[in-house]
Amino acid sequence: MAKLPAPVPALVERFGPHAQRTPPGGWSARGAPDRLVKTHCCFCGQQCGIELAVKDERVVGFEPWEDFPFNQGKLCPKGVKRYMQDQHPDRLLSPLERVEGQGFRELGWDAALARTAGEIQRIQGKYGRDAFAVLTGASLTNEKAYLMGKFARVAVRTANIDYNGRLCMVSAGAASKKVFGVDRAANPWSDIPKAEAILVAGANVAECAPITTDYLWQARENGAKLIVLDPRLTPIARTVDLFIPVRPGGDIGVFNAMLHVMIERGWIDRRFLAEHTTGWEEVERTVRRYTPEEGGRIAGVPPSLIVKAAEIWGPARTSFLLHARGIEHHSKGVENCLAALNLVLATGRIGREGCGYAMITGQGNGQGAREQGQKCDQLPGARDVENPEHRRHVAGVWGVPEESIPHKGLSAVPLLEAIHDGRIKGLLLICFNPMVSLPDQRFIGEALEKLEHFTAIDFFLSETARYADVVLPGSLMEEDEGTTTNVEGRVIHHQRAVRPPAGAREDWRIICDLAARLGAGDKFAYDSPRAIFEELRAASRGGVADYSGITWEKIDRLKGVFWPCPAPDHPGTPRLYEGGRFGHPDGRAHLQPVEWRPAAEEPDEEYPIVLTTGRVVSQYLSGTQTRRIGGLVDQYPQPQCELHPRLAAKLGVASGDYVKVESRRGAVVVRALVTTTIRPDTVFVPYHWPLTRAANNLTVRAIDPVSNIPEFKICAVRLAKAAPPADELSRLAPEAGGVR
Amino acid sequence: MSELAFFIDHSRCIGCRSCVQACEECDTHKGVSMIHLETVERADSVQTAPQVCMHCVEPICARVCPADAIKQTPDGVTQSSLKPRCIGCSNCVLACPFGVPKYQAAIDQMMKCDYCYDRTSVGKRPMCATVCPSQALAFTTIEEIGRTRRGRPIRRWVFGDEVVETKVYVMVPEAVEEVRLDLVALSSKAEPAPAPPRAPHERFDVAALLEEEPVHGR
Amino acid sequence: MEITGRGSDAAHATGWGLLTAGVVVLGILLGSRGLKDFDTALVPYAGATIFAAFGLGYRHAMWLRRPPTRLYWRRGWQLFFTPRRLPSNLARLGERLWSNFVVQRFIFRRGALRWAAHWWIFWGCLLAAAVTFPLSFGWVRFETARDSQALYQAFVFGIPVFRFPLDSWIAPLVFQVLDVSAAMVLVGLGFALWRRARDRGALAVQQSSDLIPLVLLFTVCVTGILLTVSTHFVRGFHYEFLSQFHAVSVIFTLVYLPFGKFFHIFQRPAQLSISFYKDAGAAGPQAACARCGQPFASALHAGDLKTVEEALSIRYAAAGAHYQEFCPACRRKMLAITQDGIWRAAGRPRPERP
Repeated sequence: MAKLPAPVPALVERFGPHAQRTPPGGWSARGAPDRLVKTHCCFCGQQCGIELAVKDERVVGFEPWEDFPFNQGKLCPKGVKRYMQDQHPDRLLSPLERVEGQGFRELGWDAALARTAGEIQRIQGKYGRDAFAVLTGASLTNEKAYLMGKFARVAVRTANIDYNGRLCMVSAGAASKKVFGVDRAANPWSDIPKAEAILVAGANVAECAPITTDYLWQARENGAKLIVLDPRLTPIARTVDLFIPVRPGGDIGVFNAMLHVMIERGWIDRRFLAEHTTGWEEVERTVRRYTPEEGGRIAGVPPSLIVKAAEIWGPARTSFLLHARGIEHHSKGVENCLAALNLVLATGRIGREGCGYAMITGQGNGQGAREQGQKCDQLPGARDVENPEHRRHVAGVWGVPEESIPHKGLSAVPLLEAIHDGRIKGLLLICFNPMVSLPDQRFIGEALEKLEHFTAIDFFLSETARYADVVLPGSLMEEDEGTTTNVEGRVIHHQRAVRPPAGAREDWRIICDLAARLGAGDKFAYDSPRAIFEELRAASRGGVADYSGITWEKIDRLKGVFWPCPAPDHPGTPRLYEGGRFGHPDGRAHLQPVEWRPAAEEPDEEYPIVLTTGRVVSQYLSGTQTRRIGGLVDQYPQPQCELHPRLAAKLGVASGDYVKVESRRGAVVVRALVTTTIRPDTVFVPYHWPLTRAANNLTVRAIDPVSNIPEFKICAVRLAKAAPPADELSRLAPEAGGVR
Repeated sequence: MSELAFFIDHSRCIGCRSCVQACEECDTHKGVSMIHLETVERADSVQTAPQVCMHCVEPICARVCPADAIKQTPDGVTQSSLKPRCIGCSNCVLACPFGVPKYQAAIDQMMKCDYCYDRTSVGKRPMCATVCPSQALAFTTIEEIGRTRRGRPIRRWVFGDEVVETKVYVMVPEAVEEVRLDLVALSSKAEPAPAPPRAPHERFDVAALLEEEPVHGR
Repeated sequence: MEITGRGSDAAHATGWGLLTAGVVVLGILLGSRGLKDFDTALVPYAGATIFAAFGLGYRHAMWLRRPPTRLYWRRGWQLFFTPRRLPSNLARLGERLWSNFVVQRFIFRRGALRWAAHWWIFWGCLLAAAVTFPLSFGWVRFETARDSQALYQAFVFGIPVFRFPLDSWIAPLVFQVLDVSAAMVLVGLGFALWRRARDRGALAVQQSSDLIPLVLLFTVCVTGILLTVSTHFVRGFHYEFLSQFHAVSVIFTLVYLPFGKFFHIFQRPAQLSISFYKDAGAAGPQAACARCGQPFASALHAGDLKTVEEALSIRYAAAGAHYQEFCPACRRKMLAITQDGIWRAAGRPRPERP
């Protein structure tokens, strides 16, 4: 395929993103709503409860849902303005077909589905089954995630299905599985306020998990001491007991050296280690070399900070570890997490009230979507696609021969690489916007241009869907029903607030129709998302993530059910590992020794500065939704490059100046924000924007060998002051990728 | 259980602007946000300053209003100016000790935070304090605050020699009885010469935090 | 500027009230040529008007006794009549009268429905006032022309001004002009009630005092229109009762003028005065914030406000600083800095150099 079917400004003109600033009908038109629908925010893994206000079958506003236990009415700005995406003028209301040189033309549903199914069959006939790939997302409900996994394995019968959780949770998940045998936050959030010591590693809680802030404060009001590891002084770090401004990629230095100090001072629960774990001896041997001086050298921080951290963490009676993308988005992301988990296990403080740890899930259904079998290496119930027993169970539920289920396929980044080198020729994509979110954007764009066929399902025309041959208009979360699993492992119920607008369809119906056209209609004869959930329960039965005892009614009654919940009368499992029983067959936790190693691309003379990427509170992921909501756009309209005044002085840059940030792979021109709240050797650019504002133009296409997560948090760049850009892309509105 | 009250703890604020986004959802001023959220000085801090109307017992805004347009409800909530009366002079904007009223030039009227009167008057919590993720803004009972927070809530302020009592509480450490602004220390005169172009506030420098020993990369 | 009034507020205001009422009485006596043209049937109306005049004079004077009002009242006139500024002020006055009073643009920006309501009520009332006050004062009267039964003659201050044939299109317009004005007011009231019933925000903050004027106007208009209906269509059905009811409602409205929401009619011109005050302030030096150094108001305004605050015993001055010299944004920041600082002083940690 060729490049985009029309110039970007023309596509933006027709399909957006346009920032919607008023509710449907305008502010003054809102009378009392016809009904309030208790559901959840779709932006981020905390999945806060919210009531959507519906009037005349349109979502016109919201009410805080104060009875929902997780957030008790609290919402971040994304949650507050979430309702504005319904009735959006950019909404896709008809299938589209690419017209070279002109953009897209509308197409009937039959024709669109027939063409997609036909292309799948043609490509698979010509190049083999695995030449057609399916990419999905972690903002899908459990039902849709399950459906996508089954669709790929049963209808398309390709090994190559993966999802954008690959950019999010996989390092944490892999580490957790290695150590505990289970991939889930070990504790509910209600344990946080009961902890005496809290370590927040690589999590800008204030912006990426805002509701968690109040939990941290509750703990502090109870006297807890809080440690934060981050290259930037984040809002929560301003008032903490100990802030360690760690160099990106230096976390293992802090963790291992903390453990070193704790061993020296005798703050190790050796009895717990002996009774409930394996591997401690090797860990102890490994960290022997990580003195505070060595740790400080690796982490780029004074050794005394590490000693202080150990002094807070070591002797505490209860403790809670929270980690997120800051330590996970590395080519050693899994090792970073393993080193952090060693701190938890060495003290034996897990599986009790106020004792434990959690990974802070990023995406809407970051937890659930990775359990239902849409990862290239997993089947439903967090089962292993290579485990014969697991395969047999799932084959039984699906009613297919075990050998018909494909084996492990490619994960997201290698999958795009396979498209680039021509091994994969066709793609079906849903809920994923690689043209913002994957590293090395130029390479990703080249890959998409090489596809023989590309169908995208989306409610808005994302930057990636612009490359598609066929676009199928799907549904928003509030237009369909289903479940997600929040950051705590709590399975919750998204109610339908309104129906999809005329012309768009529920995602699950689109997939079931496609499956029928591929000859697997009998395996996809669902009449509702609930029917899919019932099958999901059966498929997960006996798996690690066992949903079999969960029903929608039970969720509504209990305001969420924590998996595993293996029986209808089972209350769910808010806290894992009680009594020191872990998820491995031997019941023990398996400690893993970790040595620090450098990142894939460290700064050098040519590119002397470390770039780390991240998020802002008003944007969600690739911005397909949040860059269309005016209030959120206005809050932080365009990416800025945060840099320390020492670096700025060398470059002659002042706040507000344009800077060109350049790596070996590409460049962005953005405005500078000169501030002392970041390390002088590091710059930060948030990643939610496309085109010449995409931080992922710069990032390196290196992945963790175990989790395959890309190294978003560290690459080498150089900076220079730049003239105000005046090219055609820069003149676009900021939400579309321009600058102001 | 006593009645619900408003508590503010500025130091908890994370600047997420949830309150600002939620404020404009309030029916008494739809589409216009009345709460203030200041970034104190981004160049060397991440501190932010949320400010709702504190609802003074004797509102200075009302006292300085030439049009007699600012009224309190019987339950002590100071409302936006009366539309027929307000003449848009901005006296209240300049005189309010908390910097709360907003002059809306387009409609030539002062509007302000009104305690989400459409909500609080029917027993609901105000938008900002309900959504506030850090609970820097909280709307709860005084017993609940006493149970869950360190320090204590007070509502006495001193500006110059003016003592102001408010309906809204602020959280302070146990021994503190009033919040007194040190006007001399907070004015630009307090800056050492040559004064940097920034007004007094608490500064943070990550580079300084790293300075125990020189950092040589790896 | 001296802004604290001398003497008892009430005595002072009573004086102004009596003066205003006296002016109206004098106007009636002179305008009706020593009551020669005065229609005794309209005595209750004239009486109520005199009482209202007293009330308005009293209330307006009381209002001007408030230090801020007094200051800006004086400042406004002073600045308006500054010889150097007078020509441009007069030009702007015309423009502002048009945009603020005739088309009421600022109300439109507050809401189209609110504007529609206000605009119809405003012009309806103005039209009615333009007819009824001169009639009840005896300034205007109509008679059948001496030379023709088919002609009607209008007198102003006893002087014949124009005559019109009874069967012309002007006649019904002149006779029914109050019905026209009543209809206009009713249209406005319709918009007002429609808005109040729909707008959840308005419902939350409205008080009974907001509705009294609407009820009064409604009663006046409906009884007035019913009088016409009674005369022309149902042969004087309940005419006596209706006319008394109408009179009572009008009198009540007149008496209510100084006290309730209607008083804004007499306060509103201050909006013009303030606009000239703002012009003068913008043209002069600006006050810079004592913390951030940025200009935040005119030096004129900031200085006057200090005077007002002093008169009101608001003690923002302290040794070495004056709180009025800090801009609103810095005040908000200072509050957070101070509160946060109190916690720091009490031991809350901060990221420190090791």
